Amino acid sequence: MPPEAAPQIGQFFDAWDLFRDPAMAGVLAGALLGFLGVFVVARRMVFLSAALSQAAGLGVALAFWAQIHLGFSSTWMSPTVGSTLATGLAALGLVGGTRGARWRPDGRLGWVYLMGAAGTLALGTRIVQEVQDIESILFGSAVAVAPADLQQLIGVTGGLFAVQVVGLRGFCQVAVDEDGARVRGLPTRLLGLLLVASLALAVSVTTRILGALPVFAFTVLPAMAALRVAPNLATAAWLAAILGGAAGFLGYLAAFLYTLPVGAAQALVAGAEVLLAALVGLGLDAWHTRAVHRHAHIHGPGCGHLVVQHGDHMDYLHNGHLDHQGDDGQTDDHGDGHGDGHGHRHD
Amino acid sequence: MSDSPLLLCQALQVGYRGQPLLPPIDLRVERGETWALIGPNGAGKTTLLRTVLGLLPALGGQLAHPGSAIAYVPQRSELDPSVPARVIDLVRAGAERGWSFARPRWPYAPQPQVQQAMRDVGVEKLCREPWLHLSEGQKQRVLLAQALAGEPDLLILDEPTSAMDVHAERQVFDLLGELRDRRRLGLLLVSHNLGALGSFATHAIFVDKDQGVVVPGPLREVVQHPAFDARFGLHIAEQRGGHAT
Repeated sequence: MPPEAAPQIGQFFDAWDLFRDPAMAGVLAGALLGFLGVFVVARRMVFLSAALSQAAGLGVALAFWAQIHLGFSSTWMSPTVGSTLATGLAALGLVGGTRGARWRPDGRLGWVYLMGAAGTLALGTRIVQEVQDIESILFGSAVAVAPADLQQLIGVTGGLFAVQVVGLRGFCQVAVDEDGARVRGLPTRLLGLLLVASLALAVSVTTRILGALPVFAFTVLPAMAALRVAPNLATAAWLAAILGGAAGFLGYLAAFLYTLPVGAAQALVAGAEVLLAALVGLGLDAWHTRAVHRHAHIHGPGCGHLVVQHGDHMDYLHNGHLDHQGDDGQTDDHGDGHGDGHGHRHD
Repeated sequence: MSDSPLLLCQALQVGYRGQPLLPPIDLRVERGETWALIGPNGAGKTTLLRTVLGLLPALGGQLAHPGSAIAYVPQRSELDPSVPARVIDLVRAGAERGWSFARPRWPYAPQPQVQQAMRDVGVEKLCREPWLHLSEGQKQRVLLAQALAGEPDLLILDEPTSAMDVHAERQVFDLLGELRDRRRLGLLLVSHNLGALGSFATHAIFVDKDQGVVVPGPLREVVQHPAFDARFGLHIAEQRGGHAT
């Protein structure tokens, strides 16, 4: 029997009507989670996203279980309702009520993550007919997206982007210097809650549609890539949205071409973006170093040039002459360090 | 011109979880004054500073800054170097107050107070530089510009000269003195360098949790207080001895 021919890229676009919705869902989820992820990564809340996505998975499994064993209707206890409830409760437990808590935040994150993952797997054995859905939830193996799910995702993405764009400068300031922002009277607590609520809603909806693995990947990896190369947080957020959207689409395409699980392919593409960004970042660093040397190198501790006492100040030995680094960014030539017209000599 | 103080503390109690750390504090900071907050490590300086800044709730007493805007200059190490930011981004952030971040703004047009702040501390040529690539002295100037962009009346600085050599430290104190005089600011700063503060500060507040004392007042009076002498007398004598040689 001849081996089956590998799928071709042309076949993907020939069947675009079939693949459009899941590919669009990947793009939207990647863009939204990429944008939010910049603030998650910058504020060192990476595992909050992981824990929330597992909680969302457990919420979906609980919804199926409640339908089968408790007789709830699929309208009242839909997977979306289950994931939203579970994610909201987890977010409240992790972020709210921290005063007087005896456990460290990372310990509580670990508890939510583990209970989410273990609970989903355990419930999977009690809802055998839905086991395929459980796999989809955990690993993102879904290849199709229902039109209603896509519409819901479009609405959530639009709403959350609107909130993020209006508050963008505030979110950036809280991520860079929270104390400073509080002193300036910014509503830092509200901005923090808005970020967590946005993340919880985005994670609950996207986990239901794409699965926990790609959701966690979209929240972390495009943000890592963008933060490596962008000059500031606002630019990083938009760049991460583009990279996340690209990973969502290219991952889906790669899954088609190489017969891979969709969620895994999307996570791998996002991971490759991080490696690419690391290379670009190294290039940018080298370019910056050359540029500042060519125009006005900024000397300072650890800049790589020998520090030399020069009268009442310190100079830096650079290409055989002494540079004085003013704090206004100007570098002045203080001669060759032998007889430079300053009226004194250097040893 | 109003004579109201920039900062007024009356029987202010600071501490954590309802437990006062220091005796009640009375303090009145006026324009043009430079207050040094001094004390040994773990003496309660940071707790007092964070309470004055509104980052910690006061346990009792009164804390007011009637009609005056406060700006905070954090330690340089408090900014995470893995979070990208250019000089212009940081200084612009200092001009945001309250809900101003929600107002649309053309991103390429710095406000006049931002430009003035950068000119005042001499960092306008660095505006596109990443924070990560600056020297310690330049970072301190950028944080000062950020604070000035909010057009404050009272500037509160946490260890502005830590990890600096003597030359850079002198430059920072010279700049602070110049800004204080030109903008008629009040300054309140934490520093461990008693020698440099002696020639710069006009007033001091000595705190020591272990001795259970808070001594505010003109610098000369504070350094003659027995509690200050008990803690720093030998240290100052050594410094004087070192300078004499």
